[in-house]
Amino acid sequence: MNIAEYQEKLLDKAIEAGFKEAEVYFERKNSFKCMLYEGQIDSYETSEDGGLSLRGLHNGKMGYAYTEKLDDVSMSFLIDSVKANADVLDENEGIDIFEGSNEYTPYEFYNEELETIGIPEKIELLRLIEQKVRAYDSRIVTLDYCFLQEYSTERSLANSKNLSLSHKENGLVIFLSTVVKEGEELKTGGYLKMTRDFHALNADEIARAAAEEALANLGEKSIPSGKYPIILRSDATASLLSTFMPILSAENAQKDQSLLKGKVGQKVASDTLTLLNAPFHPDALSGASFDGEGVATKEQAIISNGTLQTLLHNRKTAKKEGCETSGHAHKDSYKGTLSIAPQNLYISPGKRSQEELIASVSEGVLISELSGLHSGTNTVSGDFSVAAKGFHIQDGKIVSPVKQMTIAGNFFEFLNDIEESGSELYFLPAGYGSPSLLVKELSVTVE
Amino acid sequence: MIKQSVIENVLEAALSTGGDFSEVFIEDKFANELTLQSGKIEQSISGRDFGIGIRIFSGLQSIYTYTNDFSEEGLLAAAKRAALAIKGGTTGTIQPLKKEIITPIHNIIILPNSVEHARKATIMRQANDIARNYDERISQVKVRYLDEEQHVLIANSEGKFVEDTRIHSRLALQATASEGKEMQTGFYGPGAHAGFEFIENLNLEHYAGEAARIAVTMLHADECPSGKFPVIIDNEFGGVIFHEACGHGLEATAVAKNNSVFANRIGEKVAPDIVTYIDDGTLPNEWGSLNIDDEGEKTRKNILIENGILKGYMIDKFNARRMNAEPTGSSRRQSYRFNPTSRMTNTYIAPGTSTPEEIIAATEYGIYAKYMGGGQVNPSTGDYNFAVMEAYIVKDGKIDRPVRGATLIGNGAKTLQLVDRVSNNLAHGAGMCGSISGSLPVNVGQPMIRVSEMTVGGTKGE
Repeated sequence: MNIAEYQEKLLDKAIEAGFKEAEVYFERKNSFKCMLYEGQIDSYETSEDGGLSLRGLHNGKMGYAYTEKLDDVSMSFLIDSVKANADVLDENEGIDIFEGSNEYTPYEFYNEELETIGIPEKIELLRLIEQKVRAYDSRIVTLDYCFLQEYSTERSLANSKNLSLSHKENGLVIFLSTVVKEGEELKTGGYLKMTRDFHALNADEIARAAAEEALANLGEKSIPSGKYPIILRSDATASLLSTFMPILSAENAQKDQSLLKGKVGQKVASDTLTLLNAPFHPDALSGASFDGEGVATKEQAIISNGTLQTLLHNRKTAKKEGCETSGHAHKDSYKGTLSIAPQNLYISPGKRSQEELIASVSEGVLISELSGLHSGTNTVSGDFSVAAKGFHIQDGKIVSPVKQMTIAGNFFEFLNDIEESGSELYFLPAGYGSPSLLVKELSVTVE
Repeated sequence: MIKQSVIENVLEAALSTGGDFSEVFIEDKFANELTLQSGKIEQSISGRDFGIGIRIFSGLQSIYTYTNDFSEEGLLAAAKRAALAIKGGTTGTIQPLKKEIITPIHNIIILPNSVEHARKATIMRQANDIARNYDERISQVKVRYLDEEQHVLIANSEGKFVEDTRIHSRLALQATASEGKEMQTGFYGPGAHAGFEFIENLNLEHYAGEAARIAVTMLHADECPSGKFPVIIDNEFGGVIFHEACGHGLEATAVAKNNSVFANRIGEKVAPDIVTYIDDGTLPNEWGSLNIDDEGEKTRKNILIENGILKGYMIDKFNARRMNAEPTGSSRRQSYRFNPTSRMTNTYIAPGTSTPEEIIAATEYGIYAKYMGGGQVNPSTGDYNFAVMEAYIVKDGKIDRPVRGATLIGNGAKTLQLVDRVSNNLAHGAGMCGSISGSLPVNVGQPMIRVSEMTVGGTKGE
């Protein structure tokens, strides 16, 4: 069945079934993924999938259901489920379907050229990269991950208030994890590259970066546990930022799950920190011109020189607080209800490069990777204690990788302890970005 | 779900370019999720996941494709498109499909979809009330109810044709305690491969009470000291440590390519005599149990380590080729969107002979990890880390004061060698395990154990 027809028929049926208002959201994704192992294709995946969800106002409450099977049976399933789900809700806050913003910023999230390049050419590039990594150094044992993934996604939102929006994006991600060995010491290093411009990929550069990332971890030494000045590398900072993003959600604040509650207009971080929401940042692969409710997105400062400018709102949280939505309703996919998230969130870079930051530290630790973020962090208390990879800095120079470590602290204190932002900005595929940060100190425990 | 003749045609189309094995995985899943927060049911979602995964092997190459298109033309096109990735090879033959009837070992009494949302909400409210009434410092309670009914049909070119229905039910409880500027949370998430009867029979007083108690206990806990200590890890969800520390390293996904410290070591002593480690997908109604795995193989009890000796791995069909071994009923995937691979089901350390009291009494100074959070591991190196949700200092053989912010790091193979006590109180805990074939329900389990030395990362210096 044609999607537009299905959407239209479903909206009609929903109104017929007694919904005062209704919205249909559709998403389709095409993806190609190839994993190589020793020059051979180890796995090869293609897919074409998607689904559709229905939101409907029934007896004053908003119900929700989705399906991935687009047939007539699913239409009744959606309508019945939306009713049942609306009926069980305790909330009746008069949140309705959005009629649309006045203006949407046009921006191209899709690069047509990427899809015109054939799959064999992409696999060939990956093969070349794998070869170059293996040939780079005799201490390189193997690659435990070597894959390329390309995707394109289409989304559309249509509702009974005649709003009809669509979005199309694509991207390509290469991920390599290199295993290196020297004597009995076995280490890995992960490297990720993403782009919408296939011709911008340089096999030599990628291979060198991937190999160096792993090799740098060899020759580990122990240092005494204690508190150290920290340089948190851009990618590690971006992952920490993404983990603690929920503290910026107005919904969490309203539910007493964020210590930033009531702090708008107040200093919450050091002067050097500026945090921006950037739906159209050219270095990020994510972003969109409308949010999960169809509200136009915009560039805005969330934290400006340490002062909290706004929390992230959707229409419901904004209504509760009597303010405008900031356009941060988020739909992870058709499978979830509305939550809150930024469209690309990044820490504004500073002037000095990472090398210059390192040069300014007489005794400290450079953290290059954090792991266990899903379990070792508490967004409610702000406490974190996570495993880390990194290097010992002495007299402004990296002297050696450090044995397995943990770093621990509290994110709210961390924000206040940022002394300087580096100049290079790095984005994760999910749209969180950061430069490297120089931080006053964190507790470091070394194995 | 799909006509047998269509499946046969798809299996054949998948082998049209020289593949030697093809497989179809069809999934139709109904799921419900309700969320209570601030005392109100504020979210309720129902959904139907439906899709088809087609897999082709050509020697040591695995091709996977998936789609939601259920028309015969759509499926044949997807199979042929996937087959294009294969060049050369010897085309396999297609055996006639033989329907296999499985006798379910996991008894389901009440199908979740037959239960009104209101009944689910009632139990969620009870849990909320119990947690809120535990202490006046409980400032927020979040209760999530989840159920799913997953129908799968698996057929392959070797003639396998089998269907199964998997029912999962879970209640996830999170309590937040606040006082002054401090805020802490406690969590408990019991789940089972069972119907609504599991939710109705849950001891809410215990689970909701524990979530609240953890939050309140941690509110004024000291910062955890860092350094190397003996660590006592309690039973049940404490087993997550061995899930990370050695479970993942025993999956063929890592072993087949020698990307595991446990590769090529069958018969070697990898742990003290007191350690026996088992993965068992057949435990009745346990959260990680299955009648058949996601390749249609019957699940079984796999002894991985027996009295310290490495006995076996968890192996899926594809990695079995590289390893020249037999699959062990361990192949799993989150959904049709994932190419399956070897994963854990219910993994646990077998009970020993000490008692928990003896272990604590025998510890002069150390850390007692009562409730674990999650963790992760790098299977290539075996380096793991995980978070402790509720921890105490043990001093002079007694549990002393609570401490917070403890993270345990180490190396799986080394930690395994340092287990010096195993008690007799085996219990299983439910968790979600994320890896390359998606996020899956798994049980982790163990009796209380002690590791003679672990690196504990905390906020307080040594």
